[in-house]
Amino acid sequence: MTSGFRALHPVTLFLFYGGLLLCGMLLFHPVFLLTGIVLLVSLIVIQKHGGTIVKMLPLYLLIGIAIVVINPLISHRGRYILFYFMDQPITLESVLYGVTMLLSLTLILLTSLSYNYNVTTDKFMYLFARLVPQSALVVMMALRFVPLLRRRLSQITLVQRTRGISVHEGSLTKRMRDGMTLVKVLLVWSLEEALQSADSMKARGYGTTKRTAYVVHRMDRRDRWLTGCLSILILVIMVGSALGWGRAVIYPRMQSMVFSMEDWILYVCFGIYMLIPVIVEGKEWLSWKYSK
Amino acid sequence: MAIMEILQVKQLSFAYPDEQHQVLRDITFTVNEGDFVVLCGASGCGKTTLLRQLKPELTPVGQNHGTIYYNGNLLNELPAQQSAQEIGMVFQNPDNSIVMDVVWHELSFGMENLGYSLPVMRSRLAEIAQFFGLEPLLYKPIHELSGGQKQLLNLASVLLLQPKLLLLDEPTSQLDPVAAREFISMVYRLNREFSTTVIISEHRLEEVIPLADQMIMLEKGKLKYSGSPREVSQQIQTHRIHDLKSHDDLSDDFKYLPSVTQLFWTMQTEEAYSDLHIPLTVREGKQWLQTLDWNDGAVHAIANQSIPLSMQKMQSPERSKESILLECREVTFQYEKKSAEVLKKLDLQIYKGEMLAILGGNGAGKSTLLQLLAGLLKPRRGTVKQADHVKIGYLAQNPLLYFSHDTVAEELSTAAHYAGVAEPEVVIAKLIKQLQLEGLEQKHPHDISGGQQQKTALAIVLLLNPDILLLDEPTKGLDPLAKIALARQLLELRQAGHTIVIVTHDVEFAASYSSRCAMLFDGMITATDVPSTFFSENVFYTTAVNRVVRDWLPGILTAEEVLKLWHVPASG
Repeated sequence: MTSGFRALHPVTLFLFYGGLLLCGMLLFHPVFLLTGIVLLVSLIVIQKHGGTIVKMLPLYLLIGIAIVVINPLISHRGRYILFYFMDQPITLESVLYGVTMLLSLTLILLTSLSYNYNVTTDKFMYLFARLVPQSALVVMMALRFVPLLRRRLSQITLVQRTRGISVHEGSLTKRMRDGMTLVKVLLVWSLEEALQSADSMKARGYGTTKRTAYVVHRMDRRDRWLTGCLSILILVIMVGSALGWGRAVIYPRMQSMVFSMEDWILYVCFGIYMLIPVIVEGKEWLSWKYSK
Repeated sequence: MAIMEILQVKQLSFAYPDEQHQVLRDITFTVNEGDFVVLCGASGCGKTTLLRQLKPELTPVGQNHGTIYYNGNLLNELPAQQSAQEIGMVFQNPDNSIVMDVVWHELSFGMENLGYSLPVMRSRLAEIAQFFGLEPLLYKPIHELSGGQKQLLNLASVLLLQPKLLLLDEPTSQLDPVAAREFISMVYRLNREFSTTVIISEHRLEEVIPLADQMIMLEKGKLKYSGSPREVSQQIQTHRIHDLKSHDDLSDDFKYLPSVTQLFWTMQTEEAYSDLHIPLTVREGKQWLQTLDWNDGAVHAIANQSIPLSMQKMQSPERSKESILLECREVTFQYEKKSAEVLKKLDLQIYKGEMLAILGGNGAGKSTLLQLLAGLLKPRRGTVKQADHVKIGYLAQNPLLYFSHDTVAEELSTAAHYAGVAEPEVVIAKLIKQLQLEGLEQKHPHDISGGQQQKTALAIVLLLNPDILLLDEPTKGLDPLAKIALARQLLELRQAGHTIVIVTHDVEFAASYSSRCAMLFDGMITATDVPSTFFSENVFYTTAVNRVVRDWLPGILTAEEVLKLWHVPASG
């Protein structure tokens, strides 16, 4: 599936997730964060990879509970004392701070899930290659080796077992020695073959002149337009946040959660920001649904 | 205007540094623009070295003598950029020549190196991707491609630079016959449609020789024959007749010709023959046979004879319930839960003393079956049952998987130690002699040739003294002579009491040397029979000689068999 939000230019996508990460850290306010989470989850669900959330859930719950429980236990700042736990005052402020921290973390985690789905490795490499072409080349060549070496190692393991070399039987020292032998076979073989790869690079003129880069992704009007919108919104959010908007004051004493005018402006900006991918994706969905 | 000579090689000699021995000696030839040149000769005769001399970036360090002209200018004065563009090279192993991880990036790699502008890259890529049918693969990671697709990708990425001269170093040696044929026909198309000059070194000569304008045969670094394929076959024949008359050892050069041509020449008594009538392909072979007088008494008698029983018996051992060594019963196998079943309720018996050849297309599960037989994999359902005290030896396709020591001798002695051989020195010495590995004991296993590596790995397996020897594609990448040598060794092993199972794509090899053939298709063994019956039913999956003579001599698979029946030379 490469339509909808995924089909946007890598620069636009990268900007969106970068901005989102920034929001998750700057907008320390439960309402902002919750809105972000709801919209991001709906994006994930529309894109049909909700399964990734489920997979992450156990680890997430563990961390989440730890944060919510530990913060009130170690921080006693705040005015409103809820109760005493082993002679320690548990304050409303510290509980609320823990919850907000959890929400912020959730948003960041969801961002990374959605990022992994939409910005695939090759898109990232594409961006990276434009910035640092030489290192990107090395990284790309290395990437090719990961599945290659894994496949070779499994072949070697299979065959060497017939020679009695196996990491599954024998004493610990024997197993370790055998493991080293397997890796040695792999390395000698692969280095030998790498020489041939070098020949193949030379044969195709590597290093004769300055390299250019082939571009697969083209920035179209929609990409440019969205990139502009996202940039403006991020700018507003950054400036607003620097002025102290959209941030719940919890310590040393909890203030009202009710939005001021400035908070509302920031909230609308953030809302639009988060709605952009949902709208792009939703439009796509509708056009498919009613085109039949 | 005279035909342009794109390449002129004059008295070229080459030796690696600090070595007396010259790898290439006094080689002279010319190649015209648009020629299709086939370079052949035994492994290690200098084919690769010669090809590398023609590509300045890849010329190894050493002592060069002689001159090479490219388009009338000295080759080594060619600017690096021009050389990269105009002389393209495709290597033997498709995996090793790929540099990038995604198809489009591999294709654009060469163009990026030479600093082409984006519009140029776009239009060239579009053109080539369509020509090769690579469009659906453009965004795929390369490791998901098949071997044949990878080699086509290599060819395409070289062609994007629009070379005038294309060098190919045994490009199909790692491919199965179907992919190899596709690759060669692609190269041939480039040659015909764009007049790209092609120099290709090959072992699969049956398919390439009929396409060639020029054939160059090297022997120990020297140019032995050159000319059109028919001229070369004539020269080889003259040589052979001379050898026959003087009772010298017969030269093996004959084995490099297509089997139809071999058949033709062995049935001729005259030394010279009109060029036009020498058959190179199945079609030409049939036309030639039609000119023979089949009503001639002697020929007629043979044609009506089916295969003499004596020939079958010689090859096929007794098959009874008691002689089953290994048996598959309804074996089902799949690699992962979600993947397709590779083998489906497969039944197969292996009898004592036989040489079973398992044939099948690419990805039919031949290697998987062999690994199951070897006990390296466990079937999901069904059983692989061994007779009591049967030891199994398994030789994988890639011999490099076996080597973990610094010398051949060390490899063998550790293997002997592991197998618990009583007198290791004696046994190893015997094996080295039997497999002709003398003189390699102190060499590193990675420094010896592919055929020698295979034999070393075979020796390692044989030290376990297996009753059944399982070989995975043993003829892959071997030249015709090495194949014959391998066959001889397998025959000796059979005589010594080993049972042999090979999986192979090589129809000619299976037809000539196995005692029984099995066809693996759709996860099942669909047919098993002695080669003569097995192959004579097939139209596509059969030897070239069978396709030529089947109308007259059904069940005959090889030139040797024809000759056995054919003592009276006939002439048209």
